[in-house]
Amino acid sequence: MPELYLRLLNRILTPLLLLLAIYLLLRGHNLPGGGFIAGLMAAAAFELQILSRGHDRVRRSIGPYLNSGIGLGLAIAICSGIAGLLNGVFFKGLWFDLHVPLLGELAVGTPVIFDLGVFLVVVSVATSYLLGLSRVSDTAAPIPDGAPSPELSDSFETDPAGVADGSSLRTER
Amino acid sequence: MLAASILLIFVSGAVLYWIRPHTRVWAGWLSTLPPLAVTAWQLNAALPLLSGAGAESGGKADLQNGAIIAEQYRWIESLGLELSFRLDGLSLLFGLIISGIGVAVALYTHYYLEDDDRQGYFYLSLFAFMASMLGLVWADNLLTLFVFWEGTSVTSYLLIGYSHRSAFARGGARNAFIVTAGGGLALLAGLVLLGQASGSYAISEIIARPGLTELDLYPAILILILVGAFSKSAQFPFHWWLPGAMAAPTPASAYLHSATMVKAGIYLLARLHSALSDHPLWLWALLLFGGTTMLLGAVFALRHSDMKALLAYATVSQLGVLTTLLAFRSEAALLAVVVGILSHALYKGPLFLVAGIVDHATGHRDLRMLGGLRRTLPVTSGIALLAALSMAGIPPLFGFVAKEALLESAYSAAEHGEAAGWLAFGAAAVTGAFFVAYSFTLLWEAFLRPAPSAETGNLTSNSPLKSGATPIHHPPAPPLVAAPLILVALGTFAPFVLKPLSRVFTPAAASIAAQPVQVYASLWHGFTPAFLTSLLAITVGIWLFLIRSRLRAFLSQLPDNLRGVFLFQRILDDLYALAQVTARFSQGYTLATQSGVVLLAASIPIVVALRQINLNDLFPSPLALPGAPETVLILMIGVSAYVTARVTSRLGAIISLGVVGVSVTLFYVFFSAPDLALTQLLIEVLTVVLLVLVFTKLPPDVRPAMQRWKQARNVLVALAAGAFGFFLVLFNSSDAMQAALSISDYFLHNAVPGGHGANVVNVILVDFRAIDTMGEITVLAIAALGGYALLNAPRVRLPSSAPSQSASDQPAGSEEANPVADTSRSNIDPPTDTEAH
Repeated sequence: MPELYLRLLNRILTPLLLLLAIYLLLRGHNLPGGGFIAGLMAAAAFELQILSRGHDRVRRSIGPYLNSGIGLGLAIAICSGIAGLLNGVFFKGLWFDLHVPLLGELAVGTPVIFDLGVFLVVVSVATSYLLGLSRVSDTAAPIPDGAPSPELSDSFETDPAGVADGSSLRTER
Repeated sequence: MLAASILLIFVSGAVLYWIRPHTRVWAGWLSTLPPLAVTAWQLNAALPLLSGAGAESGGKADLQNGAIIAEQYRWIESLGLELSFRLDGLSLLFGLIISGIGVAVALYTHYYLEDDDRQGYFYLSLFAFMASMLGLVWADNLLTLFVFWEGTSVTSYLLIGYSHRSAFARGGARNAFIVTAGGGLALLAGLVLLGQASGSYAISEIIARPGLTELDLYPAILILILVGAFSKSAQFPFHWWLPGAMAAPTPASAYLHSATMVKAGIYLLARLHSALSDHPLWLWALLLFGGTTMLLGAVFALRHSDMKALLAYATVSQLGVLTTLLAFRSEAALLAVVVGILSHALYKGPLFLVAGIVDHATGHRDLRMLGGLRRTLPVTSGIALLAALSMAGIPPLFGFVAKEALLESAYSAAEHGEAAGWLAFGAAAVTGAFFVAYSFTLLWEAFLRPAPSAETGNLTSNSPLKSGATPIHHPPAPPLVAAPLILVALGTFAPFVLKPLSRVFTPAAASIAAQPVQVYASLWHGFTPAFLTSLLAITVGIWLFLIRSRLRAFLSQLPDNLRGVFLFQRILDDLYALAQVTARFSQGYTLATQSGVVLLAASIPIVVALRQINLNDLFPSPLALPGAPETVLILMIGVSAYVTARVTSRLGAIISLGVVGVSVTLFYVFFSAPDLALTQLLIEVLTVVLLVLVFTKLPPDVRPAMQRWKQARNVLVALAAGAFGFFLVLFNSSDAMQAALSISDYFLHNAVPGGHGANVVNVILVDFRAIDTMGEITVLAIAALGGYALLNAPRVRLPSSAPSQSASDQPAGSEEANPVADTSRSNIDPPTDTEAH
């Protein structure tokens, strides 16, 4: 069971980190930030969740959206390029000013939309890795002290021929 | 409208997939509408040409006005890439064949694949193919043509491998794809060379430009383009992929592998004929490879008793005939090409469809099992009779017209004393005899003779009990028969309407020659040498038909080693073995070897570069010494890196590695690169937390001592990598480099006016170099797929035996933890270059 302070920290920090991620994403075009950084920041928020609540619960809540997040991000990025194509050249930036209540004038352009796609891909990929790794580390059998450490790479050692054709990853249930 | 037609076909494929055609009775008829519309539209567009005005002037109307229709769309102008389409005589002929036969095949597919729940998928691939093929023949830009060319390779792969549970289908699809896509690579090189040499990528301009054959690059261009065209059109030595592609469902075989796709190579040769053919190299290359192919295909067709394999070799032979004809420049030869293309489409298409009906109805398509189908499948047999007689070149069928045109043109070349003409004439005569032999074999063994006695006892209850016929399990639906019937009817009437038809032929031949031509196809030439040779060929063919069992026995004795498939398989096996060796060497089994190889390989260019420049120029002349904060950071990095390498506890190693990372982050802060600092910091945090997460599951502090030579090796690799990084930064920031090659100023000045953003790094990422970023996130997504497969595998089995030593010279677990760090780092590389200034 995760430590109490970690759970407490999670309650406070996760929303803050996610808000910070969105903030970084939105201001990225003019100030330090942007899709990559915001994506990593959001992934850090999810990592905190994994550490404090366990990977199973996190997987149940956001796991199903990760693969679609990657696809959606790529699709958004491509579409922002195609929007430029329709106006002449692939990935040509298109800009228009939006008047948003409370925020005032907001310059929106296809590069910003592209950045949104980058953000989605980065956050989904990073979180997908984090979830997968925490699961692997969780399900690995506990090893008695002093025993030689078995490693994943050893399966390659015992089956050198399998490296090329990928058959080295033998699975069992 | 050309682009709209292509789009229409693409979209209707998706629509057909979506309506789940196997559940709808009317889907087959619906599927004929898009190709029908495209056919009708083409005929309508070509109306001025067909109404007679063009034909009398020998296609002049067509050529004087340029194309019938030309369209251009912008794509990526900076690469000279534009979508441009052009409809002229040649592309009209091909377009009509593609969409017209497409109608028949679309209808046939629905009834051939009835009850198959993947029918929608087949339609999707088929229509995607049709659209690519139309784009290929309508393209007026070398690169547009290439894009659609590759499209046909990919869709053909999907169609051949449709029955993906069968190893034969998968193997056939793979072989066909490797050959055609490999040829496509050669073609791309050839087309780019051609485009650069002629100064234009527009095909219509290249054709109009004289003197291409005198360029120094001409042999290279020609050979590369020929490799592409020959691989696509199954010419020797690539001919063997076509019989392997017969694993495709019959509608695909009939459509792709007889009527359309395999003609793409022929189309390309015809399209570039006027620009490239005026050279002995063209003549002899096409003559020798085409001639070999037509003889080889014709002889091997007799060896096979599988109807589709026989037809496949017959197709190979016919493609050889067309290639041979294209070797010549006479108008008669060009006309023979045009007639040959159409007549072949109109007899070989139906024959394939008939083979499919026979297969569908009896469950066999092996001639040894078949017989007497004229009683049980009378209409189908009638179609087969007309189509096969046309294939044999029996007067007065369309195939006879094509064969006469072939022999006439070869003979007229021979008459002018060309050795090439005699060769072509002889090969054509021998091939003609074999055409007769296998056409009669097909016709007699499947349809006319009584069935083999072993089969007659096997009649099932629900089949009509007619003696001497292979039993019918599954009578064909009328529309299934209607599809080949339409095509064969067109082919049968064609010889009697040659005059109106030449309004299509003449402009097509004129487009190949790029000048008006004055020849007409005709059914009756009189008792010319060509006609007498034709009669002789038929006689010899009948004799060959009578001794066919002895011929078969002789042909099947040939060793397998001579067959292309086996040679190809051996090459493929060797390639796999080579890949294993290189993978073992370069990817190793541990992270240490893998990164070692990568780092050393990256260092090589630096070593080469350093030998060519004066080292003193690299260092800024008043050498600035680091200030106090930088000195502290450098010391921190050095010490913690050393600690990481020496410390025995894993946790200690992780922490000191983290210190290295954070110190580097501080460097970025000092040199005002906040984006880089933020990214690096986040990566460090994620990595350290992850490593801790994974390492808690491993036993504490078991880190066996490393062998000495490995230590020495790792130190050397680390030093080389460090020197690589050091000199790279020095090199990039040296005054000379900055003055000569730096693009920083451009980015700095254009970020706000051009990119609407004050954060230059971000503007570079999402605007100036957006395509790079697109590539990077695509790589990231692919890495995520790989990671997903690895990490979510049910359970990786850990070997119970004691692990060998060599895997233990790295911190355990870094193998798992590193993909995140590696892939994320690769994505912050672009700012590194630009921040360095």
